[in-house]
Amino acid sequence: MTKGHTINRRNFLRTGTAVGGIALAAPTLLRASSYPERNINVVIPTREGGGADRNFRAFTSIWKEKLGTDFEPGFFPGASGRVGYEIYMGKNEPDAYNLIFGNMGPEVLNWAMQEPSFDINDYLYFGRVDTDPGALFVGAESPLQTLDDVIAEGKKRRLNVGTSRMAHPASIGLLSLGEATGADFNLIPLSGGKNTVAGAVTGEVDFSVLTSGSVIAAGDSVKTLLVFGENRVGGALDNAPSINDAFDLDLPEMLSSRAFGIHKKAVDDYPDRFDVLTSTFKETFEDDRLLTAYVEGRGTPEYLNYGGIEECAEFKAAMLELGARFKPLLTGA
Amino acid sequence: MGETGTILVEVFFQTISYWWVIIPTIFLGLIVGGVPGFSAANTIIILMPLTLAMDLETGLIFMVSLYCAARMGAGIPAILVNIPGTAGAAATPLDGYPMTKQGRGQQALAMTFVASSLGGLLTTVIALATMPILARVGFYMHSVEMIVVMLFGISLIASIAAQDMVKGLIAGFLGLMIGSIGTDVVYATPRATFGFLELYDGIPLIPALVGLFAVSEAFVIIEKRLIITDDARKAMATPSWHATFEGASIALKRWWHIAWTSVIGLIIGVIPGAGASIASFVAYQQSRSFSKTPEAYGTGHPEGLIAPESANNGVTSGTLVPLLVLGIPGGATAAIMLVVMQFHGVSFGPSLFENNPKVGYGMFMAMAVSYLFMMFTILPLSRYMSRVTTVPTIYLAPMIISFTLVGAFVPREYMFDMYLALAFGVLGYVARRTGYHVAAILIGVILGPLLERYFLWSLKKSDGDIMVLFSSTLGNVLWVCLVLSIVLPIWFEMRRKRREIVTQ
Repeated sequence: MTKGHTINRRNFLRTGTAVGGIALAAPTLLRASSYPERNINVVIPTREGGGADRNFRAFTSIWKEKLGTDFEPGFFPGASGRVGYEIYMGKNEPDAYNLIFGNMGPEVLNWAMQEPSFDINDYLYFGRVDTDPGALFVGAESPLQTLDDVIAEGKKRRLNVGTSRMAHPASIGLLSLGEATGADFNLIPLSGGKNTVAGAVTGEVDFSVLTSGSVIAAGDSVKTLLVFGENRVGGALDNAPSINDAFDLDLPEMLSSRAFGIHKKAVDDYPDRFDVLTSTFKETFEDDRLLTAYVEGRGTPEYLNYGGIEECAEFKAAMLELGARFKPLLTGA
Repeated sequence: MGETGTILVEVFFQTISYWWVIIPTIFLGLIVGGVPGFSAANTIIILMPLTLAMDLETGLIFMVSLYCAARMGAGIPAILVNIPGTAGAAATPLDGYPMTKQGRGQQALAMTFVASSLGGLLTTVIALATMPILARVGFYMHSVEMIVVMLFGISLIASIAAQDMVKGLIAGFLGLMIGSIGTDVVYATPRATFGFLELYDGIPLIPALVGLFAVSEAFVIIEKRLIITDDARKAMATPSWHATFEGASIALKRWWHIAWTSVIGLIIGVIPGAGASIASFVAYQQSRSFSKTPEAYGTGHPEGLIAPESANNGVTSGTLVPLLVLGIPGGATAAIMLVVMQFHGVSFGPSLFENNPKVGYGMFMAMAVSYLFMMFTILPLSRYMSRVTTVPTIYLAPMIISFTLVGAFVPREYMFDMYLALAFGVLGYVARRTGYHVAAILIGVILGPLLERYFLWSLKKSDGDIMVLFSSTLGNVLWVCLVLSIVLPIWFEMRRKRREIVTQ
């Protein structure tokens, strides 16, 4: 037996201290290797207090329990969402502690109109929260009270149509309607949902197109005539037909769709962290409390709709394709 | 007494019983309004969890009181230290600050409290009585008409430039150029952003505001020992009730002026998308145009202070009208109120007064009661608030710069905005030192983007036909009014001078 292995008072104390130290430090060491160790920052490319904010708060109120950490939103509105994405891609570390919560429909369409400074494949959406189809609506006092009125009038003269922004799925829905019927529409970007509803109600424009959740929130002051997708809420959208049913078309749904995105580099460098994010995101959807939180945040329950990496990628590709197809009409080029 | 009358009386007494909410909220609102960067809208957002936890009546009264008090609070630093708390108070220092420099700060504060309270109270009563008619204003005021309204405000640049037309117009033109920075409203194409992402959404208003007014003012006052003269300081050092009552009396004697300028605020407030900054500039311009002493404006003239303050408080009741009657919020604060009320299950719009009349009338009543409380709780404070101006500038200037830079940072939380405020501060300082009017630059920065937005919408609607500007009857009437409001004062002035020559 060597001297080193002799159990004496000094060795006993030394070993005891080391073991005790390791025991005390163990939770810290374990935490260091676990994810997440700190709050997750989320870039939201719209204003505080809007639909994305409410949706984000509702969803993360449940997700934070599954993930075991809190979410800290940062709001970076401007230039149709472009500012938020540029800041996320340019200034935030790709370490899975920084996410973006965007509206895939209008925001991805933007890239088709004007290329961003980053490669659009350098980020991916991995968790879709909802899908909300665009809708065509008139003010309660509008002379155009039916879809037939709209089409007939649109064949006589060019109708001015309010939209939140040019590159919006609802705008593409409207242009598709024009192509299908021969009616002539002139898109007027009224800068935001509130102005778009006001434009239709006050007669600034002949009618408007917008994400249907915002149309439902406008209540009695508007009347919905057409949905650019499936009408899953019936009477809340005045039982308006879908564009495919009404005109025997086969168009994809023109959706606004909020989803969480992440740097591609973060996915490549930290696959374990990404797994935690995607698995807890899915678990959140399986929690019954999510629906309650979503409805309390003024969400339409029928629109709460899980989507993973594949569904999001498919949607992103479809939006880019639609954007490229309608680019001349949406940019005036 | 009809059913509506009974409801109104019931709601009035119920609202008064919430004094314990209203009075603290008024003081919170004064602070929030007075600090640039904070506003009723972002305070309600910050306190949203608290607001949602309140019961419906408390939440409603809290939000309305905060909104009204913040509007009034924005005028206090505008008068005392030339720092408008919000863009809605940007016209207030034009005459308010010269009064302070003359040692009449206490009087000016009393005047603005009375004008704001009376303006707010009066327009609340008018809005309550004429809601269905007022709600129609938005149906007639479209982008073409709004272009003319904007031009009413922008023509104030010419009024300000009256003393030195070339410098005034250069300042205004510079403001319009700065205001055009950002992405265009139609195709979101960036213009003059120099690659700064922070400028894609246009020049942020608060950094421009605090830079041009507050930071540049701090640079100017740093060269002096006190903001006010020694004589004025001696007068301010012993504040008296007399000055307060005198200020209140000056305002009360101009009750008609308060009435019509607050109605301008009410009408502009009703138009979705328009707001307090437009209302205050238009009211100031109109007040000056129809004044018998237009040359006194800008020198500490009471009417030049009363007009913008009455108007921007008239806006508060105006923004509630389209919200309650049509479900369309007239401004940012009204939009946040909509979210909170909808959380409580209240749906705004045509059916509100049938389904939930107490909420509909309650919002106006909360506004009226808040203004009543404000008049009696704030007025006595004017004698203490005005003593800010007796603080030596070695303390005051650093405080102004640090507070306002924080204020510039708060709305967007960009460090960039603090640098921008400093840059605007330097621009403002150079402008002041070389005789250019910073207010003319600011009018361009605030109203320029709005004018451009309505102009581009009109052109887009007409496929580029410029004649669209003269395509509406109301628009044409407004054009005539605009021309008259510019030409008539000049004509009256020329006639007066001719008569003087003849008399001599």
